[in-house]
Amino acid sequence: MSKTCEISVTVNGTTHRAAVEPRLLLSDFLRHTLGLTGTHVGCEHGVCGACTVLVDGDSARACLMFAVQADGRSIETIESLGRIGQMNALQESFHEHHALQCGFCTPGMLMTATDLLRKYPLASDDDIRKGLSGNLCRCTGYEHIVRAIRAVVGKTQERP
Amino acid sequence: MKPPAFDYIAAGSIAMAFEALAQAGDDAKIIAGGQSLVPMLNFRMLRPSVLVDINRIAGLDVIEATSEAIHVGALTRHYQLETSPLIARHLPVLSCAMTHVAHLAIRNRGTIGGSLAHADPAAELPMMALLLDAELRIASTSGERTVAARDFLLGALTVDLAAGEIITGIVLPKLPPHTGWGFEEVARRHGDFALAAVAATVTVSDGAIEQARIALTGVGATALRAHQAEGLLIGRALEADLTHRAIDAVRDAIGPETDLHASSDYRRHLAGVLTGRALAAAWRRAHESAT
Amino acid sequence: MNDAPEIHARPKIVGARIKRSEDPRLLTGVGAYTDDRQVMRVLHVAFRRSDQSHARIRAVDCAAARMAPGIVAVFTADDLSDLVKPLVATSRMANYYATPILPLARGKVRYVGEPVVGIVADSRYHAEDALELIAIDYEPLPIVIDPEQAVRPGAPLLHDEAGTNVIVSREFKRGDPEAAFASAPVHIKGRFRMHRKSPVAIEPRACIAEYEPGRDALTLHSATQVPGIIRDALSSALDIPGHRIRVVSPDVGGGFGGKGSLYPEEIFVCAVARHLRRPVKWTGDRLEDFAASSQGFDEIVDAELALDNDGRILALQADVIGDVGAYSIYPWTAALEPVQVVSFLPGPYRVQNYRGRVQAVATSKAPTGPYRGVGRPISAFVMERLMDMAAAKLGIDAKDIRLRNLIADDELPYKVASGIVWDKSGFQECLHKACAAIGYDALRAKQKQARAAGRWVGIGIACYAELTGIGSRISVAPGMPINTGTETAIVRIDSTGAITATFGIASHGQGLETTLAQVVAEHLGARFEDIRVLQGDSSGVAGGTGTYASRSMVLAGGAATLAAGKVREKVLNAASHLLEASATDLVAEDGKISVAGTDRSITFRDVARAVYAEMGRLPPDARGELAATETYDPVFGTTSSATHIAVVEIDPETYEVRVERFAVAEDCGRLVNPLIVDGQVHGGVAQGVGAALYEEVVYDAQGQITTASLVDYLVPSACEIPPMQVMHLESYSPTTLGGFRGLGEGGTIGAPAAIANAVADALAPLGIEINELPATPERLFRLIEAARARAKP
Repeated sequence: MSKTCEISVTVNGTTHRAAVEPRLLLSDFLRHTLGLTGTHVGCEHGVCGACTVLVDGDSARACLMFAVQADGRSIETIESLGRIGQMNALQESFHEHHALQCGFCTPGMLMTATDLLRKYPLASDDDIRKGLSGNLCRCTGYEHIVRAIRAVVGKTQERP
Repeated sequence: MKPPAFDYIAAGSIAMAFEALAQAGDDAKIIAGGQSLVPMLNFRMLRPSVLVDINRIAGLDVIEATSEAIHVGALTRHYQLETSPLIARHLPVLSCAMTHVAHLAIRNRGTIGGSLAHADPAAELPMMALLLDAELRIASTSGERTVAARDFLLGALTVDLAAGEIITGIVLPKLPPHTGWGFEEVARRHGDFALAAVAATVTVSDGAIEQARIALTGVGATALRAHQAEGLLIGRALEADLTHRAIDAVRDAIGPETDLHASSDYRRHLAGVLTGRALAAAWRRAHESAT
Repeated sequence: MNDAPEIHARPKIVGARIKRSEDPRLLTGVGAYTDDRQVMRVLHVAFRRSDQSHARIRAVDCAAARMAPGIVAVFTADDLSDLVKPLVATSRMANYYATPILPLARGKVRYVGEPVVGIVADSRYHAEDALELIAIDYEPLPIVIDPEQAVRPGAPLLHDEAGTNVIVSREFKRGDPEAAFASAPVHIKGRFRMHRKSPVAIEPRACIAEYEPGRDALTLHSATQVPGIIRDALSSALDIPGHRIRVVSPDVGGGFGGKGSLYPEEIFVCAVARHLRRPVKWTGDRLEDFAASSQGFDEIVDAELALDNDGRILALQADVIGDVGAYSIYPWTAALEPVQVVSFLPGPYRVQNYRGRVQAVATSKAPTGPYRGVGRPISAFVMERLMDMAAAKLGIDAKDIRLRNLIADDELPYKVASGIVWDKSGFQECLHKACAAIGYDALRAKQKQARAAGRWVGIGIACYAELTGIGSRISVAPGMPINTGTETAIVRIDSTGAITATFGIASHGQGLETTLAQVVAEHLGARFEDIRVLQGDSSGVAGGTGTYASRSMVLAGGAATLAAGKVREKVLNAASHLLEASATDLVAEDGKISVAGTDRSITFRDVARAVYAEMGRLPPDARGELAATETYDPVFGTTSSATHIAVVEIDPETYEVRVERFAVAEDCGRLVNPLIVDGQVHGGVAQGVGAALYEEVVYDAQGQITTASLVDYLVPSACEIPPMQVMHLESYSPTTLGGFRGLGEGGTIGAPAAIANAVADALAPLGIEINELPATPERLFRLIEAARARAKP
């Protein structure tokens, strides 16, 4: 049995201290230790993108990180983007454009889109599609997701 | 798909990393970006007793230029390479290659050192290291050594890196003036590993090719350089017949695998097609470049 | 026959692009999926699954596993035999052998991934550690993996007692196909192969069983599309009456049919939770999903079309082998997909002479279950390829040959050879509309130019028809152990004036919380935002099944129409007393009841207060509960149809296929919410693109599943899916309440056929037929090399 490690992780602005087994995946830490079930697990091998979160501002697969690696780091999950009744512009755009159906890939899509909007000009819809290529959706056929993101490109994105 | 248990050491310095590796013996694994390692752990394909996390070692993620070369720290993330103005200016073929590497979330974490140490037979970075005649700086408690990329890549997922050794940097010699480049890849989906990819550079002087490099990935146990094909191009201008001979030479030089996604024959076919396209692009760019 | 009162006022709720009420929680990360459910003292399950394709289980040694850290219990089939009765997907069909469904393999394993041992532990991590400590002694048996071999007499048997691997066989016949073939001047023949697919919902399957010892009662939360079916099945398997067993589908992350059947894991967690008297949870991972979730589309079709010289169909015949995996799925049976391939093969065309024969053969793969489109994607693929091949042979344009053969409006209703009736649908209109939208004639001209420039551009058309919203007279298989023909709605206004509508369907992405609220609001006269829809809970209605087969809006929407109408009458009755006006002078709209032509009105809330809280305010006959329960049976079903058009370009050197454009003109009857309709079409088409170009479940010759993860099974990303144009025809169904038709599966039915035709069209100058999907670059490479070799002098 391996020893536990003491970690201090800031998640959505709140710092949490915990003793975790080294092999505990960040995705499981967020979902089951902290109860933040908005981050979803679809594959645990880094392909589907449903578990995408921001680590120190950069999008990353929570299933490909261990909680111990998040020690001292700042994690942002979907829960940080907005609340019911107070969603951010990207969430509102998804709502307006019907960019989700079952909602399971949606947290990963939103976190990826958040990072894409900061990092790339996304001049064409083709650029948006390339940016989304690491987030699989089985429901929407991507059409409305691309439109939802197109609608907010160029608008100011305030960092939470 | 939960990983098996392991001990974990977050190395704050290279010395700490060496110590941790020495204590664990052969059974330790270094984790940098983890984008290749963690899936293998989750699949339980690997069972290290210790993970030595080197992400916090300072100073290993710097990209800087000397007059001769670009020095890239081993912990440089793919996204940094993708967006580096130094790389864009001096090694634009590498900037292009980086846009084919997986997806943003992977590029934010994955490192050049990790990608080279992992040496996936269909990854872009090992091919780029060969194309650019890269040298790897490797450190251990015995000191530092330098290995040419061509000597580093030994086989599928096999490299010249001993237990207790850590890649610290990659030296990428700058390209000569009047050098054009081409990069062509076929993958099943955007961001997937290549079924076949070709990167080429061509240095032109007085209308003739002075230097040519052709590197491939996805078509053998490791990425490779097609030296025979390169030799055919020296001293000549690129035209249809020469291109076809180079393509034939490339096809003869490779031994691709057959897997779920493509047969050896199809990969061989692609290698030829992409060589032709990459050479054409490199030739065109060589004539477009100012200096 | 439409019995509902006509809505004469301008429809402002049904038909409106209302944003979904599901969205806020899903967009902000507070959805409630099965694995999200936090239960105290829950135990976690991992399964040791067979790594053998076909083997006898000689011995299982769990001793070391039982001693491992965190392990609470370990179960084999023997340990469960007193806790669970086997279930069988029965059917009255002739030539059908029903295989029992057990929570763990007993005696034999029949596919790689079949669960053999269940470990219960304090964490999934510990459970997986202990899996490795189990030793199973297998005696390998002959491999049964190739359907064409398994079909032969004398082949090794997967189910010895059946005496055969062919567990279903069926034939449909109409007219005199032999004579028609004998005399027909034109024959088109082909062997068509659609390879196996996995539904791959992004949420893997998961279930949690919670046991209440005080009542000997079980609640199962499961990522399922069919809570009603699961509840009834578990009631039988565990011998617990329905008022002590409840199945809840919370938020479900996609299904596509893969979550539409009863699974061994659901039986396991329930039996074990009851036995251990603790909550027990299993969350599947993606490896388990590929190995053990139901699969589909694995069909081999030898088909032949007979035509006259003008391209009019004289006869059609087909022999089909359907690979149905190792077990007959519960409750649909192994007949589900293969029989639909033949029963729908004639499609929306005039086919007077037909023979379709099918054999469903068991092989050592995960069981075949429903996957979006269920058989019809293969029917459409085959028929549409035959039509294009006929067009090419006769020198007729692909659009024209279809116009000559598509059933015209004045021929409807039309009875297909299998007995299915197309009631009313815009077959020809959809084709015209799709062609107009894509600019078909201009495209053909551009194609000519592109070809002259050496580009490989192809245009592919597919026309299909499907039966949706099926009622009690149409059954997937006669004698199936469930009733798919009805759904119930309970509409109720409570004492605070709040309106609840409860259903037995189970939305898993289709937005039924929103669309059913739209229907209820419209027929009640209430505001959309005041309706709360409860669904996905077996305790909500007395009997229900769930959401599958493009049925929920037709059936639940029909029941909602009836129930809301009844409650509206009660509201008006009470309001007539309160407003001192005749009920016929009252109008209910926007949550208010007003006297027509005056400004006197009261709210629904006022009425509720009067009925429930104010004693003596109303006479006895106006004080009854403001509630109604109605069950709707459409009896037969209604037709939905569409034309899909794909434009592809193929790189003439690398053979990569790019779908450049895609247009759909579909007739799904009356639209409740255009946003949601478009979304369903987009998603179905995307899966169709995957089926046509990327997706294939591969088992090797030893029966090992080689497409074991998302690395090897290629689900298309945003880059692989084209932008889509969707047009709607709303021909109200004459046979369903509200004029609704089903929608949801059309994308996967039409898209693979359209893309196959487009790829074949692009490669037509090389004389290549595309009769095998997915049309991967590797397959195209082989076809092109072969064609070039043939062309060499």
